[in-house]
Amino acid sequence: MVYYVFTLVFFLFDYFILAMGLNIQYGEAGILNFAYIGFVAIGAYFTGVFSLPNSLNTGQHYILGLGLPFPINLLLGGLAAMCFALIVALIALRRLRTDYLAIVLISLSLVLYDFCNNYVSLFNGADGLYNVPEPFAKALGLTVNSFIPFFACVTAAVSLLMWFVMSRVMRSPMGRTFRAIRDDEVAAAALGKNVFRMQLKAMLIGSFYAGIGGGLLIQFGGSFNPTAWLPGETFVVFAVLIVGGAGNNIGMFVGALFVETLLIHLPAFLPEIPGHPGLIEYFDSALVGIVLMAMLWFRPQGAVPERLRRATSFGVRERLEPKSGQ
Amino acid sequence: MNAAGVLGSTVQTARAPALRCEGITKAFQGVHAVNGAAFDVPEGQITALIGPNGAGKTTVVNILSGAMRCDDGRAFIGQTDVTNWPSYKIARLGLMRTFQLSRELGGLTVLENLLVAPAHQAGESFVNLLFRPALIRNQEREHAERALQVLEVYGLYPQRDIRARELSGGQKKLLEIARAVMASPKILLLDEPMAGVNPALIERIGGYILDLKQSGVTVLMIEHNLNVVEKICDYVIVLAEGRTLATGRLSELRENADVVRAYLGEVIDAGALR
Repeated sequence: MVYYVFTLVFFLFDYFILAMGLNIQYGEAGILNFAYIGFVAIGAYFTGVFSLPNSLNTGQHYILGLGLPFPINLLLGGLAAMCFALIVALIALRRLRTDYLAIVLISLSLVLYDFCNNYVSLFNGADGLYNVPEPFAKALGLTVNSFIPFFACVTAAVSLLMWFVMSRVMRSPMGRTFRAIRDDEVAAAALGKNVFRMQLKAMLIGSFYAGIGGGLLIQFGGSFNPTAWLPGETFVVFAVLIVGGAGNNIGMFVGALFVETLLIHLPAFLPEIPGHPGLIEYFDSALVGIVLMAMLWFRPQGAVPERLRRATSFGVRERLEPKSGQ
Repeated sequence: MNAAGVLGSTVQTARAPALRCEGITKAFQGVHAVNGAAFDVPEGQITALIGPNGAGKTTVVNILSGAMRCDDGRAFIGQTDVTNWPSYKIARLGLMRTFQLSRELGGLTVLENLLVAPAHQAGESFVNLLFRPALIRNQEREHAERALQVLEVYGLYPQRDIRARELSGGQKKLLEIARAVMASPKILLLDEPMAGVNPALIERIGGYILDLKQSGVTVLMIEHNLNVVEKICDYVIVLAEGRTLATGRLSELRENADVVRAYLGEVIDAGALR
């Protein structure tokens, strides 16, 4: 029971991180990043190869193998996703916008998937990485059962720290400029905002979050292979964002709780339907799709909509007798 | 406080061109929207850009503000050649603009629309965000205080906390001007600021534009309402078929048969302008 509960807790907080990363890109800066799961995978793979020892005697094929401890490997995994985002943005984001950018990014996701799946010397191909060392397991003497609650708590702590930073970004002039660009990039540019530079910032911040989320995934499970990041997985994170409410971090938590925890992972722990083994597992994608459509139809702003920032929150005094408008 | 007050004082100089177009050309799939337009916009004055529909007025404003690239010709702000510069660089030289169809930042509050405008905001840097929160907080408070003053002047103070997309058409026009003013512009391009606006509000917007002139802002406005042009504009540029047809004071242009023919049509004589 503890295993089940803390597995759900882990996925809740991990997807909270992933959703915050996509939110800064799409919900705030308007970048339709359909390759998001690719950045998650880059973070996961690099966290893995920074943590694993040299591949010579492991029976696996992968680059690096530096044997770095947690959380250094995790931070480097996040930075690797950021570097990848920088390359992608310099090529794609500079020239393309909206639908065209989305098409290029979804293509990138498919190419990246096929490349990692088939180029074995990079991240061990279709078998993926496994036997990734569990953080602090030896130092703290953690067993398989005690590691799961421990790491779920680590993930919760990391996500809260990242939530704090993200909240600061979103409430800042940087977040406001992101939203200005999202609403109308021509108007934002006419006000002196360098749209590419600002969207690049959003892309980098969001990809760092994707990388960290991916890194925590590989550290939790000890393995990561292409079946974990099918290009369609991007849309699960989008579902979290849309259900929760784009532009609001609390919404990301609510979305992660509802979509990732309740709709996707909880059914896997339910008892089988007699005579239909495995049927429940196949329902999750359909359920997510139905919920997504229902939300877009009945509550497009999401469960927790983007909050208005009132004048008083800037530390200014309101006038007692405001002049009337036109 | 009037619009001049919230802008602060700037020195007004007489008649040196603040903006210059030299042979600007722009074609869309072979059709010339602008075909060699050339004119000067005097500094510290209100200049009207008039002409029939399809004359290329908005295209010229788009090219001057960097929203569109020209095929040929050159554009200058003061002495600086800004031909085909991106919008944000031109804006940073002090040229702000409004749009024919209002482009409010709909998801932001009215106050936030104004807060986007100031240049060099410390809070747009990630390093400052993490390590200099007090600097950002103080700058935000200063900007918010000034933005509220601007909103009071433009009669939008009661709407400060609502999303900009919820404003009426006229209020959106005011918001665009207020947002540009918040950026302390040296030059302001207004694309049909009076279009679709009720007469009382036309009067108010005209007053705001005159206040801006008083504070030293150079204004170039596209306008079809010749009463407004007559009342507030010092200088008029007439575009027709992408070319500069005539420039001068409206009183001079009333006597120009080419202007009358191109802008008002053959059946209406010059007397209709009076």
